Amino acid sequence: MKRVTRLVGRFRNAPVIGTAVLVGLLVLIGMGAIVQSEASFRSQKQQEAQVQAAILAASVVAALDFGDAATAQEAADAMRANGQMRGVGIYDRHGLRVAGFRRDAGDSPRNVQESRRLTASSESIVGEAPVMRGGERIGLVRLSVDAQPFETRVGTYLLVGLLVIMAALVVTVLGVAQGALRRANRALGERAAALVLSNAALKVQIDEREKAEEQLRQAQKMQALGLLTGGIAHDFNNLLTVIQGSADMLCRPDLKPERRLRYAEAIVQAGERAAALTRQLLAFARRQPLRPETIDVNAMVAGMIDLFDRTLGERIAIRTELSDDACVVEADRAQLASALLNIAVNARDAMPDGGTLTISTGSGRTSSDNDDMDQPMIALSVADTGAGMDAATLARAMEPFFTTKGTGKGTGLGLSQVYGFATQSGGDLRIASIPGKGTTVTLLLPSSDKPLVAEEQFQPISGSARRTGSVLLVEDNDAVGEFAESLLSELGHRVVRARSGEEALERVHGGKFDVVLTDVVMPVMSGIELAEQLATERPELRVVLTTGFSEEIALSGAGGRPVILKPYRLETLATVLDEALA
Amino acid sequence: MIGVIALLAAVPFAPCTTSAQPSEDAVKAAFLPKFAHYVAWPAAAVPAGDAPFVLCIMGPDPFGRLIDAAAASESIDGRPLAVRRLGASDNGAGCQMAYLSGGERQVAQEIAALGRQPTLTVTDARAGNAHGIIHFVLSGGRVRFLIDDATAAERGIAINSRLLALAISVKQRP
Repeated sequence: MKRVTRLVGRFRNAPVIGTAVLVGLLVLIGMGAIVQSEASFRSQKQQEAQVQAAILAASVVAALDFGDAATAQEAADAMRANGQMRGVGIYDRHGLRVAGFRRDAGDSPRNVQESRRLTASSESIVGEAPVMRGGERIGLVRLSVDAQPFETRVGTYLLVGLLVIMAALVVTVLGVAQGALRRANRALGERAAALVLSNAALKVQIDEREKAEEQLRQAQKMQALGLLTGGIAHDFNNLLTVIQGSADMLCRPDLKPERRLRYAEAIVQAGERAAALTRQLLAFARRQPLRPETIDVNAMVAGMIDLFDRTLGERIAIRTELSDDACVVEADRAQLASALLNIAVNARDAMPDGGTLTISTGSGRTSSDNDDMDQPMIALSVADTGAGMDAATLARAMEPFFTTKGTGKGTGLGLSQVYGFATQSGGDLRIASIPGKGTTVTLLLPSSDKPLVAEEQFQPISGSARRTGSVLLVEDNDAVGEFAESLLSELGHRVVRARSGEEALERVHGGKFDVVLTDVVMPVMSGIELAEQLATERPELRVVLTTGFSEEIALSGAGGRPVILKPYRLETLATVLDEALA
Repeated sequence: MIGVIALLAAVPFAPCTTSAQPSEDAVKAAFLPKFAHYVAWPAAAVPAGDAPFVLCIMGPDPFGRLIDAAAASESIDGRPLAVRRLGASDNGAGCQMAYLSGGERQVAQEIAALGRQPTLTVTDARAGNAHGIIHFVLSGGRVRFLIDDATAAERGIAINSRLLALAISVKQRP
């Protein structure tokens, strides 16, 4: 490569030198052509004059022979046609002029000698030919021809010179172009090399950037996960608040039986909502759309009053202004409840010193001016008497991650989630606020005329189980295990607990059981593996699976065995076991 | 210049020059041998070997020594030119050229006598209207001639176009 570069460097000026040599050569050739032309011009003219003289001499032989001057003159005059003919003289054998002419005004020479003197002093070209008859010289013809005027020749030479210059110019231009092209080529080569280098650098940068982006994506995922967890925790805390509050109330000794029942119902409902929330979370993780159902909003609000009571605390009075008309909407029940709870909690936070929360429902048509939806809508409004919001806060209230609460107190996702739910359900979210007076959040949902689906009502479980038997409970989680053990005992079963699949197998070998109730997700040996093992060892032994993570069942299959999904209700557990013991 | 003048003085027969005006007969005598240079005879009529061309004078001789001198100074294709003066009964056989003189009738008879021989006949307007192949006339004080190329062709004689160019008129060959 270096050698090539050196070689190229040595011949870098080759085009310039070549061009110069070519141009010089061209000029030399042009000059040579002119000189050659000038030299040959005279000899050629001389020859021409000689030929013309010879022709004239041949044509005046007889005239000279017979001394016919008139005829000779005619022959001489014929030469006048040649414009360059300066003069013609025909002389007899003695050198005396017989005929001829002289174009200029001067006297014609009387003999050859005079003629010779005359032509010697001029630069004209002279042709001379003897008049011969039968080998005998009988006279002489002389003629003088104008050399072509120098100006004419100069014109010719100029033309030649011009051509040479043009040729030289062309050669020069070509040479220069060639040189430029070489330089451009070299520059191009250098640039290409530089490009290759920068391309490689760019590739490295791209790789680095991709890595960085991957890291950023990961970080964003983690952040989203954190936010989601925070949001879920927020909702769960709301539900836990209800459950804990209700449980605390139940612990009071002098509680009337009907109050006790209401608190128990509240706990059950909160539990159901929590279960729905986890279902929702799982559905969200699997990106499955949630199924809307027809809901009577009035009934729903009425059912949530106690929940609000416990959630919002005693300093907040709750009023309801429910519409007399049926307010039926089509929405996801859990999401609607969550949204309402969200708004209520926001209202509570806006009233730290207490106040009044008014929940009202109404039906009508939207008076929306920014979209053209014109259909019966149900309005669910939650008004507080809190601090209210200024215009700037109001404008951003529905933005994701925008919050006025302190760190750790809110995610900024609440209202944005509510807004997302409302728009997804074909409705809208409106917020009106006056600073110092309070805020009214109105959830607008499309009115539905579909028949209502009866909500699963809370039914107290009659403690008497239909069938009882010996149950082997396999559960690695102690809390769940103890709870399930107490439930099963309450239902009248004899319960033996194992904490792993291996322990369960040992117990089966050592005792007699009617049913095995096993958790699916366990370390070392899963519930499904245990069931498979038991199917070969003790085919007559019935196995019931239970799991909070239904996907495991979806992946491995239950093998036709009954499955109880966590969290399960006492009734469900009783029914499934009853069937298993049948 | 002086030399040139001296030279001129030494040439008494230089034709058609302004400086000397020779007599009509002298000019004609000078012309006659020259004609031979511009005429081609049929091969049979050309004298064999080194035999001279023959210029015959039929009828009275108007030239005398002039013609002898002129003939002596000419050579035709390297052969000498002989002048033969013919008697009245001579039919001109062997004459390549013949100058016919005498009266008009005599010249006509001489022409008739030559018959169809390939002889270049030269006649003179002084002798009347009988025309040979070349017929001398005086024109503008100068000796000129007419040429009857048609007759020449009949006789097998070819006349050089250079000579034809000098003639006042030419009777074209058919």
